[in-house]
Amino acid sequence: MKFSINGVAGSGEPQPGQCLRTFLRDQEHFEVKKGCDAGDCGACSVLVDGALVRSCLYPAVRADGAEITTVSGLGTPEDLHPMQQAFVDHFGFQCGFCTAGMIVAASTLDSTDDLPRRMKGNLCRCTGYRSVRQAIEAGVRGDPPRPAPGCGVGDSPNPPAARRVVTGTEPYTFDLAVPGSLHLRVLAAPHAHARIRSIDTSAAEAVPGVVLVLTHENTPQERYSTGRHEHREDDPDDTRMLDDVVRHVGQRVAAVVAESVAAAEAGCRALVVDYEVLPAVVDPEEARRPGAPLLHPDRTPADRVDEAGRNVVLAVHGGHGGDVDAALAASAHTVSGTWRTSRVSHAQLETHGAIGWLEDDGRLVLRASTQVPFLTRLELARLFGLPEDRVRVHTARVGGGFGGKQEIFAEDLVGWAVLRTGRPVSYELSRTDEFQRTSVRHPMRVGVTLGSTADGVLTAMKVDVLSDTGAYGNHSRGVLFHAIAESVSVYRCPVKHVDAEVVYTNTVPSGAFRGYGLGQVILGVESAMDELAIELGLDPFELRRRNVVRDGDPLLVAQHAEPEPDLVWGSYGLDQCLDLAEEALARGNGVEPPPGWRVGEGMALALITTVPPFGHVAHAAIHLEPDGTYRVDVGTVEFGNGSQTVFTQIVASTLNTTVDRIVLRVADTDAVAYDTGAFASAGTAVAGKALHGAALDLRAQILSRADGVLERDGVRTAAGLVPFAEIGPLTGTGAEFGEQRSLSSNVHAVRVAVRPETGEVRILQSVHAADAGTVMNPEQCRGQVEGGVAQGIGSALYEEVLIGEHGEVLNPVFRTYRVPQMADIPDTEVYFATTSDTLGPYGAKSMSESPYNPVAPAIGNAIRRALGARPYEQPFSRDRVWRLTQPRIMEP
Amino acid sequence: MRPFAYDRPDTAAAAVAAVADRPDAAFLGGGTNLVDHLRLGIADPGLLVDVTSLTSTEIVDIDGGLRIGAGVTNADLAADPRVRARLPVLAAALLSGASGQLRNMATTGGNPLQRTRCPYFQDPASACNKRVPGSGCAAIGGATRNHAILGASEHCIATHPSDMAVALAALDTQVRILGPDGGRTLAFTDLHRLPGDTPEQDTELAHGELITAIDVSYPRGRHAYRKVRDRASYAFALVSVAAVLDVVDGTVLDARIALGGVAHTPWRAVRAEDTLRGGPATEEAFAAAAEAELADARPQPGFDGGNAFKIPLARRTLTATLRQTTPRETA
Repeated sequence: MKFSINGVAGSGEPQPGQCLRTFLRDQEHFEVKKGCDAGDCGACSVLVDGALVRSCLYPAVRADGAEITTVSGLGTPEDLHPMQQAFVDHFGFQCGFCTAGMIVAASTLDSTDDLPRRMKGNLCRCTGYRSVRQAIEAGVRGDPPRPAPGCGVGDSPNPPAARRVVTGTEPYTFDLAVPGSLHLRVLAAPHAHARIRSIDTSAAEAVPGVVLVLTHENTPQERYSTGRHEHREDDPDDTRMLDDVVRHVGQRVAAVVAESVAAAEAGCRALVVDYEVLPAVVDPEEARRPGAPLLHPDRTPADRVDEAGRNVVLAVHGGHGGDVDAALAASAHTVSGTWRTSRVSHAQLETHGAIGWLEDDGRLVLRASTQVPFLTRLELARLFGLPEDRVRVHTARVGGGFGGKQEIFAEDLVGWAVLRTGRPVSYELSRTDEFQRTSVRHPMRVGVTLGSTADGVLTAMKVDVLSDTGAYGNHSRGVLFHAIAESVSVYRCPVKHVDAEVVYTNTVPSGAFRGYGLGQVILGVESAMDELAIELGLDPFELRRRNVVRDGDPLLVAQHAEPEPDLVWGSYGLDQCLDLAEEALARGNGVEPPPGWRVGEGMALALITTVPPFGHVAHAAIHLEPDGTYRVDVGTVEFGNGSQTVFTQIVASTLNTTVDRIVLRVADTDAVAYDTGAFASAGTAVAGKALHGAALDLRAQILSRADGVLERDGVRTAAGLVPFAEIGPLTGTGAEFGEQRSLSSNVHAVRVAVRPETGEVRILQSVHAADAGTVMNPEQCRGQVEGGVAQGIGSALYEEVLIGEHGEVLNPVFRTYRVPQMADIPDTEVYFATTSDTLGPYGAKSMSESPYNPVAPAIGNAIRRALGARPYEQPFSRDRVWRLTQPRIMEP
Repeated sequence: MRPFAYDRPDTAAAAVAAVADRPDAAFLGGGTNLVDHLRLGIADPGLLVDVTSLTSTEIVDIDGGLRIGAGVTNADLAADPRVRARLPVLAAALLSGASGQLRNMATTGGNPLQRTRCPYFQDPASACNKRVPGSGCAAIGGATRNHAILGASEHCIATHPSDMAVALAALDTQVRILGPDGGRTLAFTDLHRLPGDTPEQDTELAHGELITAIDVSYPRGRHAYRKVRDRASYAFALVSVAAVLDVVDGTVLDARIALGGVAHTPWRAVRAEDTLRGGPATEEAFAAAAEAELADARPQPGFDGGNAFKIPLARRTLTATLRQTTPRETA
């Protein structure tokens, strides 16, 4: 058939059944993205003869004779379409993976009336939509381009990749043609718990095009964890690449490697597996009762599984300050409640996956969608029995992570298949794979009891947590430790006690997710604090002020009487955050509730350490070229967190240069010696600090060669400008080990309206105050806060991965799993405290994860005050809220 | 996705013959539902017969109404000035469903034939009598918030997902069908069927029968479409109501009402209509009509309290929608 793509005539025959999305990508139009392949997310939107369609559902044969326009046909990095320019100017993207489809859709608009409805076909997981909405409004109006922003620390320069992202020319993991690549697909387990008696691979191997079938019989059988940390001993060794026991529906059973995706899928269908079905447990309470089916009975504390005989991965029991029950009994007031949180999907629009190949000297190379290239290399080298330097892992721009890519979900199979076949191998997960086979936020049951004096001073705190890690323990220990840390230590209270356990169940594994468990326990603690405020008749802000830790206070978790030695108050901003949020809520925003709706206000606070405990490492190097170019090597990954932008700002400020003189090389195990990775909000606080060190080192070296003032083109001395050609080449290096940690704080406040007849919740005003220390890039940091708040609203009101009675995921697509859309997310007023941290570069602190944490309790507290009844189960969906308004007889 | 053959005949008659010939053949319209099902592995046709260019893409005037070609996209239908002026309930229903991208692809003939979004139907590993007759129904007692409260059977409690079909069910709509033995016409309200003990059959169409056009008459009265869902946009209806009420001097001369999200079919609310017709257009009458329509509603048990909440929700939404069709001074 004949067609034209972006004005260039072409011809070709699609494969039977091929959709336009994959057909366009086969023509190397990689700007057409896959977010869901089910018509829900809009990332693949293109114009066919001017009509906006989803290319993932559009049969390619229908494009015969058509003119197709993708985002790359609207404009180029040098000559942007007005809508592309507007997305640059308004920071209308973070990871940028949805952006191609978003801009194509927006380019068809001639009006911004009812924009949320017009744009309901496009999902964004990063931004919270405010910046997207403003970009579209500017694009439709045809605003002139924004004047070039400054590029130093404290300015708001655009991400270095901005013009490429908005034109679809910035490559992501799979935006690369690898000639001769094989394709890997996985057979998913149909049972929640079963032993594999045998796998007959003969029919699969006979499928034309199938090259290799992998099962537990021909893959490394050493146990590891998909979750990755600086210390591999943080996670239990309970996972095999392919196991002879399946522990959740959707687990990998076998992998087929073939010349085409269709052949790999046909090979999977041809596998004959004989299962011995075992009893399964899907309820975490049941899982730790005597007689429950055991998931990992042979694991021991040496594998970091505390009590395999009770399905308990980690148990934390302890307190300090005396008998908590006695302290509660002696308290003037007590409140108590039990909250439940849901499984939440990261829903980053780029699914997991990897492409692997061998270099000429036989070195294994993996290009993966990961937040942790170095940690992945370490574990794969260990698993494959290779020296570390025989494995290279790197990323392109990563299309969102949120913690979900601090895991090995594809790289192991791809790496092994490359080593076995000697050929390039590609494995890209589907959206349904993401729901069934990657990870979710740990669902938790959180019981909180608080005691206080008549004046509202806390006397006792008792916290009881049950976390569900699903079938494997990746991140379960760290998440539980973190969940019960800053949520409890933020309050001064003489008596604290915690009982916390995380258990295995036969369900999709839980893993790392923005906030790392804190949000779940903060829901309980901050809701209980709100109940206490109501009980005392005290303003909730005032109750917090009476009890929060002050500047310099020790931070005491329940289970230790001693503060953690590496924690320091690099700066203190919690007081300012409380003031800023309270003032903004009191000011209001003029939005009125609809008639007949009930109104309530709520707030909650959150504290978070800026770096994970026990170290987080980054190395950085800056090479000065004779022409004044600075080549910058950093190991950490850009996945929408804006770290690349901050890196250019640090270099520009420290070396007094401009962004056009800075060339970044990031996220490659070849780039620097080592980097722990892009997680725990460490981009600025750790990698940025290492880079700042490198910049200072280089600056000192330059000035030692020419004494004067460093300028863009050389050093200005008394004798005139000494050009860099007479100074360089030079290399500055820096490293940071995360040996000390500071604290960031966040306060969220909302005014909501609730319609009693239907349970609908509408957020009338949303306010967020944050202490990020020095705000390196105000527009970007605002975006991080807004995105975290949007995910918090999603968890609070809409999102829940539903698990059926046999442990299966019931809503493994975006049509039934409700990622918030533009219409669901109100604008949030963002305020920053004025502090400067003693640890972070330029006084900055982390601000990626923490905005998520206080959002759901603030909304729950507002619903409580609107209705006089409290929602205890997240999400606070319409039917649950409606049930709160009904007589007790309606309770299930 | 399994391999299949693809055919693009020159005429509708040839397409009908091609599908009628092969039990494993299926028509391919806009593809927004079928392509998704192919990928999910819950549809497995051996032959796809593309009909998008074989049926009319025109909307033409007929006596007292419109004939909408089966190939007209949902986007074009919603934008048609005659639809917006004379059939606003249909335009509103279309705009409340799907995204702009999907409405540019989905067709008039295909939209009413889209299949349920029951999660158990969409999961090849779950028991589902609609997908595999006789395998059971995993939805019963499961996650039932999107399931039926009217007309369900012990074999299937699925609901029909279309918004457009709810409006068409309320209107006087005829479906023009081409089959191997020639053409026939079917009232739209007779197109869909309740699950009974054959939930695998969504409609009364025989294998090989193709919808070629839909005829809609202009009704008298005021229109309203209201959709209640879990979030502000892009979600299937928990409950939706299409209503056209012809009120003269405070008396209901005629009422056309259908409910969505509550049954295996777009649910024509005959009892509510009968209750209203000839009576006053008052709040009490609306409440009585809603009460009558939902008298036989039965909640489904399931997770998180099942879907009992949908019965009062449907009652209130129906009442509120009727109120919306009535000029304030007479309400």
